[in-house]
Amino acid sequence: MSATASATRPSFSNSSVYQYSKCRLSSELLAFVSFPNTNWDNRIPSCINSRRCCTSRGHNSRLLLVPRAGASNTSKDSKSDNAQNDNENDDDRDEKRQVQKQQLTQPSVSLSLDDVNPVGLGRRSRQLFDEVWRKFSGLGQISRTIRTDDKEALDALLIREGPLCEFAIPGAQNTTVLVVGATSRIGRIVVRKLMLRGYIVKALVRKADQDVVDMLPRSVEIVMGDVGDPATLKAAVEGCNKIIYCATARSAITGDLFRVDHRGVYNLSKAFQDYNNKLAQLRAGKSSKSKLSIAKFNSADSLNGWEVRQGTYFEDVVATKYDGGMDANFEFTESGDAVFSGYVFTRGGYVELSRKLSLPLGSTLDRYEGLVLSVGGNGRSYVLILEAGPSADPSQSKLYFARISTKVGFCRVRVPFSSFRPVKPDDPALDPFLVHTFTIRFEPRRQRPAEGHAAKKQDLRSFKLILEYIKALPTGQETDFVLVSCSGLGIEPSRREQVLKAKRAGEDSLRRSGLGYTIIRPGPLKEEPGGQRALIFDQGNRISQGISCADVADICVKALHDSTARNKSFDVCYEYVAEEGRELYELVAHLPDKANNYLTPALSVLEKNT
Amino acid sequence: MALKLPSHPQLARVHDRNLSVAANGFGVFSWRRSVVSDSPSLSLSSSAGRRYTKPVVKCTAKIQATGAVNLAPGTPVRPTSILVVGATGTLGRQIVRRALDEGYDVRCLVRPRPAPADFLRDWGAVVVNADLSRPETIPATLVGIHTVIDCATGRPEEPIKTVDWEGKVALIQCAKAMGIQKYVFYSIHNCEKHPEVPLMEIKYCTEKFLRDSGLNHIIIRLCGFMQGLIGQYAVPILEEKSVWGTDAPTRIAYMDTQDIARLTFIALRNENINGKLLTFAGPRAWTTQEVITLCERLAGQDANVTTVPVSILRLTRQLTRFFEWTNDVADRLAFSEVLTSDTVFSVPMGETYDVLGVDPKDVVTLEKYLQDYFTNILKKLKDLKAQSKQTDIYF
Repeated sequence: MSATASATRPSFSNSSVYQYSKCRLSSELLAFVSFPNTNWDNRIPSCINSRRCCTSRGHNSRLLLVPRAGASNTSKDSKSDNAQNDNENDDDRDEKRQVQKQQLTQPSVSLSLDDVNPVGLGRRSRQLFDEVWRKFSGLGQISRTIRTDDKEALDALLIREGPLCEFAIPGAQNTTVLVVGATSRIGRIVVRKLMLRGYIVKALVRKADQDVVDMLPRSVEIVMGDVGDPATLKAAVEGCNKIIYCATARSAITGDLFRVDHRGVYNLSKAFQDYNNKLAQLRAGKSSKSKLSIAKFNSADSLNGWEVRQGTYFEDVVATKYDGGMDANFEFTESGDAVFSGYVFTRGGYVELSRKLSLPLGSTLDRYEGLVLSVGGNGRSYVLILEAGPSADPSQSKLYFARISTKVGFCRVRVPFSSFRPVKPDDPALDPFLVHTFTIRFEPRRQRPAEGHAAKKQDLRSFKLILEYIKALPTGQETDFVLVSCSGLGIEPSRREQVLKAKRAGEDSLRRSGLGYTIIRPGPLKEEPGGQRALIFDQGNRISQGISCADVADICVKALHDSTARNKSFDVCYEYVAEEGRELYELVAHLPDKANNYLTPALSVLEKNT
Repeated sequence: MALKLPSHPQLARVHDRNLSVAANGFGVFSWRRSVVSDSPSLSLSSSAGRRYTKPVVKCTAKIQATGAVNLAPGTPVRPTSILVVGATGTLGRQIVRRALDEGYDVRCLVRPRPAPADFLRDWGAVVVNADLSRPETIPATLVGIHTVIDCATGRPEEPIKTVDWEGKVALIQCAKAMGIQKYVFYSIHNCEKHPEVPLMEIKYCTEKFLRDSGLNHIIIRLCGFMQGLIGQYAVPILEEKSVWGTDAPTRIAYMDTQDIARLTFIALRNENINGKLLTFAGPRAWTTQEVITLCERLAGQDANVTTVPVSILRLTRQLTRFFEWTNDVADRLAFSEVLTSDTVFSVPMGETYDVLGVDPKDVVTLEKYLQDYFTNILKKLKDLKAQSKQTDIYF
C-alpha cells in the first residue's frame, strides 16, 4: 500500500489544485453568469487554464469551448458519470494512473472515435482524479458536510422524501389540505407543519396582499375567497382531501362572528360535502364516497311497504277527552310526488310513516355515516326514529331518535347516525349495523312557524311532506374537517356569551354536515414553542390552563390521519399542576415528543359525537 | 445603506423595520461604525508569499465598548423569533426544521447565490440574503430577532478565515450591538486541544470571543454527524464503489443531527444553561473500521475497503503546505493531525441529559440510524439513480 501511495505523491500537488479549481469553476461559472459584476470573473480564467493544462495537453486549439460545457455538466451528472466509471474504478491506484497516462499520452492508439475525443478524455481523467482526491481528502475529515455533487441526491432523500426524518407521514404527498386562516397564529404554524411533512397545502385568503403572500411558504397554493361567501368556496375546496379551519372573527362584532365562526364553517363544510358528492357521482356509485340508496319514491309501487300509524304520548283518560282527532295518509300524487300529509289535533298525538329496511345484499349500514333525505313540503320539523336490534328477536329492539327540520320547498337533510339518541337514556349508543326499521314521525309539539307570510297563517298542526329519496351517507376512517374552536377561557366576560354562541353554532353545523370532523377547543393561546408541557384532553368545559399555538397546530396536523380523532370534540390545554391530593383530572397525555404519538391514546378515551 | 441591499422583498421589509427602530432612538450608525471601522485583527498570515508559513491563529479581536444598547420600550421582540445562520448545512437544515415544527418564527441567513435555498422557503422559513464575509450585510438581518443560532461553517473549498473567523466576529459584534438576547454557537469537541488544526483553533477562539462579548450565549460542542457517514461510507458501499478508510484508532461518537437540533432547543429554553458549554456526543464512539463493518453488515454486501495509513495523510499535508495555492488543501487535511493523536471524540452524556431532562433512550444510536437508512433509502436511491441516468445528456 505504501508503495502505491508513494507513487501518487509526485503528481499530487497537481491533482489537488486541479480538483480545487474544478470545484470553484462549476459553482462559480454559474454564479458568473448571473452576477457578472462580482469579482469572481478574474479568478475564472486561471481556473480554466489550470484545468486545461492538466486535463488535455496538446489539444488546446480544439478545446476552446470545452470548459464551459464541461463545467456545467459536472455539477449535474458527475454522480452518474462516476457510476459509469465504476468498472474502471479499481482500488489500485497505480493501475488507474497508468490507464490515465495512456489516455493522455497516446490517444491515437485507441480504436473508437470516442476515445480520441479530447473532451471525453479530459473528463474521464478528471473524474479519476476527482474520485481519488475526494476520497483521499475525505479521510482527513472528522465529519464534514456532504460533498457538493451528491448534495442534490441527498437533499432529495433527506429533505423532500425524508424517510429518515421524524416528520414523514405516509401518504402525505397525496393529500391536499386546505388551510383556512393560514395567517392566524395557529394557521401559520399549521401551514409550516404541513409543509414539513410533505402535504400539498392550499391556503384560503381573503386578499392576496404582498404581506399575506410573504407570510406563507412559496409552494403553498393561495386561493382567494371568503368563508362568508359560499360562491367563492367552490374553487377553494377543489381537489382538497382535508380542511383545517383555524380562522376566527377578527372582532367580537356579531356580524363578524356570525359570518366567520358560524356561517363560515357551515358554508365551507357544505362546499366540501358538495365537492365530495360531485366526485362520488363522477365515479358512478363505485367510489367510497357513493351513497347507498335506502328508498326512492319515484313510482306508486315504491310506496309499498310503508305503513302509516298514529298514536299519542299520553295514555291517560284526560287526553282522550280533548281528542281533536288526527289523520294522515301517504300517497303517490298525479304529479309524481310521494306525499305524506295530514293533521294532528290531539294533544300529545303523533302520526308516523314507517318501514322495515331492506338493504341491497352485502351492504350494511355500519359502513355509513348517516342518512340524507331529500324532502319537500311546508317546513315542519320531524322526528326520525330508528329501530335497532337483532332482527331475529324484535322484542330486543331499541329505539333511537333524531329531530330534523325541513324548509318550505325542497331541501336535503343530513342526519348523521351520531345524532340519534336512545329513547331510553340507559340504552347503548346506536349501532347502525343493527338498524332494521326506519320511521318518520310528525308531532305538533315544538313546531316553529316557517318564514314567509303565507306560512304564518297555517296551522302548525297540519303538515305535508314530499319525499324524494332516503340514502345512507358513506363513512370514512379519517377526519375530513378539523375545526379550531375555543373553550371560552380568556375572552372578556362581556363578549364571551356572544363569541361562544357563534362558535358553538359553527361546531353544530359542522357536526351535522356529515363530514368526519375533529373540533379542538384550546384554552387561551400562548405564543411560545410547543412540545414542552404535557397536555390535557378533556370533554366538558373543565379546563383551566392555556396552551401554546404550536401545540394546537400539532394536534390539528396529527388529527388528520388519526381515526380516533374522527368525530370528536374536545377541549385541550396544558396540564394543570395541582397541589398534592387535589388533582381534578386524570392525566391522559404525555409530553409530546418525536417518538410518541400522544394523540391516539389521549383521544381514545374520549367520547365520540358529543 | 439601502443601495447595498439586494432588492429582496423580505429584506426590504426587514430594512423598513430597521429604519423604524432607528427612529426610536436606536443608534443605527453607532453600531455600524463599531463593526466596520475597527475590524478584528486575526493574524492568520495567508499572504506571506510563496512559502506558506504555519497558520498561526491568535485571538486578538477585542470586544468594542459598544454604546449602551437601547432597551427602551418599543415593540418587544418575540421570544419565538430566531435567526439561523448556516441554515442550508447538514445541521442547519435540521435546526430550521425542528424550529419550525416547534412553532418558532425562523429567519435564515443565507448567502446570496444563484441557486437559492428553496426548501427553506417551502418549509415556511423566511430567507434573508447576507454574507458573513461582508459585515455590512449582517445588521439588517438581525432586526426583530430574539435568538441567533449559528451553525455556519465555511465551505471546504473556501479559505477558512473569511467565514469562520472574520464573519463570526462580525456577527457576534452585531448581535451584541443590536441586543440579541441569546446566541447559540456550535463548536467542535476538544477544540482547545488541537490548535494545529485551523478550524478547531478558530472555533476555540470564537468560543472565547463569544464568552468575552458578554452576550447571553450557549456553546455546544459537537463530535460528529451521522449524516456525514452516509456520503462517506453508506452510499459507496451500496453502489459497490471502493470505500476509503484510515487505520486511525480515533473513535468518534457520531450523533444524529436531528437529535442535536432537538437537544439544542431544549437547552435554548432552559434558562439555567445560559453561558454554559455543553458537549453533545452520540451514545457510542466508533472507529472508521467499525463503521464500515456495520455498514457492510446492514447492506448485506462486502465493502471494497482501501485503507490509507494516517501517516500518508500527514505527509500529504506537509507537502501541500509548502505551496501557497495548496494551503486550503492543507487545511482540509489538517484533521489528520487529530486522527493520529489517538483521541476518543466522545464525552459521557449523563450529566447533560440530566441537565436537559432528556431520556437517553430517545437519542438515536448509530446502529438504528444506519439500519433505517439502509432499509428506507436503498430503494429510493436506486430510483433516483435510474432517473438521473435518463435525464443526463452527454456531450
